[in-house]
Amino acid sequence: MTHFSWWLDGSIVGLYLLATMVAGIAVRKYVGKVEHFLLAGREMNVYLGIASLAATEFGIVTCMYTAQFGYKYGFAGATPGILQALAMFLIGVTGFCVKPLRDSGAMTIPELFERRYGARIRWLAGVVIVLGGLLNMGVFLRMGGDFLLLVTGLHGPHLLEIMMTVLLTAVAVYTILGGMLSVLVTDFLQFVVMSGGLLVVTLLILARVGWDRLVASVQQHCGPGGFNPFVNSELGWEFVVYQLFIQTAATLTWQTCIARLLAARDTRTGRKVYTGTAFFFCCRFLIPGLWGMAALAVLGWAPLKTLSAGEQAALPAGVQAKIAASRAPDALGQLSTEEKRQLPPPVRDKLEKVSLQAMPRFLSTFLPAELMGLLGLLLAAMLAADMSTDSSYMLTWASVIYNDILAPFRRTRWSERKGILWNRFIVALIGVYLLFFGLWYELKGNLWDYLTITGTIYLASMSTLLIACCYWKRANNWGAAGAIIVGAAIPVAFLVIQQLPATAELARRIGPYYSGMAAYVGAALAMIVGSLLKPRPPLAPSGAAARAAAEGG
Amino acid sequence: MMNLARWFWWLLTVAVVLWYSTVTLYVAIRGVLDIKYMLARLAAQRDEDHDRTGPPV
Repeated sequence: MTHFSWWLDGSIVGLYLLATMVAGIAVRKYVGKVEHFLLAGREMNVYLGIASLAATEFGIVTCMYTAQFGYKYGFAGATPGILQALAMFLIGVTGFCVKPLRDSGAMTIPELFERRYGARIRWLAGVVIVLGGLLNMGVFLRMGGDFLLLVTGLHGPHLLEIMMTVLLTAVAVYTILGGMLSVLVTDFLQFVVMSGGLLVVTLLILARVGWDRLVASVQQHCGPGGFNPFVNSELGWEFVVYQLFIQTAATLTWQTCIARLLAARDTRTGRKVYTGTAFFFCCRFLIPGLWGMAALAVLGWAPLKTLSAGEQAALPAGVQAKIAASRAPDALGQLSTEEKRQLPPPVRDKLEKVSLQAMPRFLSTFLPAELMGLLGLLLAAMLAADMSTDSSYMLTWASVIYNDILAPFRRTRWSERKGILWNRFIVALIGVYLLFFGLWYELKGNLWDYLTITGTIYLASMSTLLIACCYWKRANNWGAAGAIIVGAAIPVAFLVIQQLPATAELARRIGPYYSGMAAYVGAALAMIVGSLLKPRPPLAPSGAAARAAAEGG
Repeated sequence: MMNLARWFWWLLTVAVVLWYSTVTLYVAIRGVLDIKYMLARLAAQRDEDHDRTGPPV
């Protein structure tokens, strides 16, 4: 049982929510133009940018999968965070791609693409970015709700749905009214609350569970692979290389990162935001990773305990024995295909999610009852993390829909008032999508694999297009179209062969890391081959001819 | 080799806790100034626009 107190913990959470709503709605009066709504009038300075980027990139879903990494792979699970920190620092210092992008004055990446690849590629890139991004964020809401219910120990019919609907409505209200301005101001508040909660819980874990116990637990369950990803049987060099691709591509093109760069006052400020936030990405993986390792150390590996007494009793004795004898993190690893098939779906689902839900289960009993209000602080911190992520995701993907996908319908200039109204409408629509997809779609399989595969659908092609656009003069629309098609086709094909019974074994042998790497390499090759295949245009006598060539004419 | 890996993670954990605590405090203070500056600039722009075209949306 948890010790959630409605009057104390509830008051802390209520106060935080009230402050956020007031701050978010108060800045609405400063929104007068589309540029204010989407990019805060490009008036964001360094420290606000750091707070906003950090808060956006850490949601409950991030906390869940990074803690799952700590639980499954020990310290080696924090490797993607180190790689992203390195990528972001180097990109910030060198200005690789981000300098020409910010210098261009574009509002979105596809807008920059139009100048090199033409209007059709801009539109197609917008569609790919929105599809990848919306599929990716579709799982956020349910994950957040699962976490909150597990930590508070609250139960009730449709409580998850009601709670997440109220939360999303609150976020949607201030995002719709104030756009990026509300997002930045609330992100700042949320960064402070979130960081306070994360640090307090981490220090408590280090003090009460202890460093030596964490290390011993990782050693016992993961062996040397818990400290070194290269010798971990489930990770290996292919995982590290794939992560290097993903983290670099995400830093260059992930819409929520890029929105901060584009909202910055100037290129120098944008680059400073990148270098200043870089090390946060290490914290983003290691801090929840420590929570996951603490869950392993304190709860141990006892998958049957996640089942109710009735569910457990309904299992045949042989199956129970095999599950009890399984090794972390795969509770079903010793069962035959037939035995797995016989498990009732809710039981199977619970056993598959043992590693994902270990950290919230641990937190629900770990926080000391004598430290009054600590649970409230943790909940406020996690709500802050989730709200900042949701608001930013809704706004930044709306900006691509408005700026790029609707571009063909805005040939005649729209008034600022009409532009803002359309943006508000699109943010509201994304909120509705998030609510329905997020609450009704239940994720099957590994959360991280889902996020990286759906992310790869756009990261592989968009990073290729951006690098070629900035640094390769020969790049053209043939290469860009090829890169978009190949970059999306490989991850989608992998998802399909994973689902078909006849090819599932082949998908297992290939694995998500090789298929992911193939998407990046394939997109780059398609860009090179496509661009070289297109005949060079004759020397253009005028600007109109050059534009026609860029359009593929 | 094993000890080296453990030392690496210990140092990284210490660095993470120290860096994050410091940056949180620093950003909490400087971020307020950034928000004030941003809103002041936008208010000035709004007043200019208001004089030219009428009230904002």
